[in-house]
Amino acid sequence: MTRILDPTLRATPPRAATGAARPALLSGATIGLLANGKTHGMAFLDRVAEHLRARHGVGELLRATKPNASAPAPADDAALLAKHCTAVVTAIGD
Amino acid sequence: MPATTHPGIDVDDAWQAIEACFAQKWTDGLPVVPPTEPLVERMLAAGPWRADEVLLHEPVRDRTVTAWHAAINAVMAGCKPEYFPVVGAALIAIGDPEFTLHGPATSTGGAALMVIVNGPVRERIGLHGGGNLFGPGIRANATIGRTLRLVLLNCLDCRPGVLDQSTQGWAGKYTLCFAEHEAASPWEPLHVSRGFRAGQSTVTVFAAESNHNVLVHAAREPETLLVAFADTMAALGSFSPGRSVIVFAPEHAQHLKRAGWSRARTQAWLYEHARRPLADLKRAGKIEAQFLVNPDTRRWLYGPESDRAERGPDAADAHARVLPGDERIFVHRGLGPDDMLLSVGGGAAGGHSAFFPAWSRGRSVPFVTKEVPGEVPA
Repeated sequence: MTRILDPTLRATPPRAATGAARPALLSGATIGLLANGKTHGMAFLDRVAEHLRARHGVGELLRATKPNASAPAPADDAALLAKHCTAVVTAIGD
Repeated sequence: MPATTHPGIDVDDAWQAIEACFAQKWTDGLPVVPPTEPLVERMLAAGPWRADEVLLHEPVRDRTVTAWHAAINAVMAGCKPEYFPVVGAALIAIGDPEFTLHGPATSTGGAALMVIVNGPVRERIGLHGGGNLFGPGIRANATIGRTLRLVLLNCLDCRPGVLDQSTQGWAGKYTLCFAEHEAASPWEPLHVSRGFRAGQSTVTVFAAESNHNVLVHAAREPETLLVAFADTMAALGSFSPGRSVIVFAPEHAQHLKRAGWSRARTQAWLYEHARRPLADLKRAGKIEAQFLVNPDTRRWLYGPESDRAERGPDAADAHARVLPGDERIFVHRGLGPDDMLLSVGGGAAGGHSAFFPAWSRGRSVPFVTKEVPGEVPA
């Protein structure tokens, strides 16, 4: 028998991260809208926010747009969203 | 029982191993060399990196590729160990934060990862810069480029329909690595123009869409020869504010050399002439609504006077309306002469050069050049 080595990272343990708890309710919650910078991303998120308002009565909206769709969100924006938002919606995949 | 503790699958023989790699979806659709531990150890030993040394970190998905995993994929691609320093340098290059790999790796645009190699390593490992430059048949060219794609597939999950959302992609995604034909170039080697010494070996990476063949056989003067190049660069289908790579065939390069045209002069001429009227772009659906609003794209379209440029009707279809002045507004491919790399490669005969547009309908990503580390002493 010969072992053929796994070329993927599946056996590599991912970096430890704790998933955020599911919010108990969205009524009055501050929602983050993170557009990735691609065309119409924030316009799409604004429509999503309209639905969230109508169906779940969400509260304040916090908007951020990535300067580069290919890079992570700037650390300051990510920190701000994490600090103030109950949940964040991000878009758009083209 | 195999002695290794590295994760993998156990097989009875090589043929079973080849089929098992297909079954595991570890390939690019072509058979791979099954990576056994001795093969991977030998590959790793040919480079200067420790097994756990990080060659590439992709921050959007938080994926880290070490030299060990690079070596596994290099074995699978069919690389000889002596190719590994070039492989590693190329991975470091595409992992450079400026390259923002996530975009070209996952976009609908379907970019290939072009690797241009300069310096003494080309001859040392048999990297080809001559005839059939982009075609099959040369092990170093084929397998070094292939390793990058296998790393994207296997380590970054850039699989079709998963993270790789290419609408169509193109064949260059299998492999696109070649040596610059420095001897046939009218200029200093590409890497010297980018700040390296001639005696250093380097890789230069570029996120490339499929190339256009620029076919010219009856021109000798640069201002005749380059007309077709500029026209090709201004083709509507690939027109964008993005970057370009031109690979001149030696036959075409000779004309530039004889006329004494410098690299800078050639780039300036190409930039100046690779342009189209804004009216054409609007009529062809190349101008998206946000281009008329975003300050950067307005500057691309209208130049330094973009603040005073005609804004047109405040209508949802403003970007599609051809205004009277649009026939006289010329939009250039890219933002300036430095938005292109000029290289030389191919066989001695034939007026067939190549224009590669950059990935993306925007600016794409910058060119990145990295040094290839010296060979590990025996």
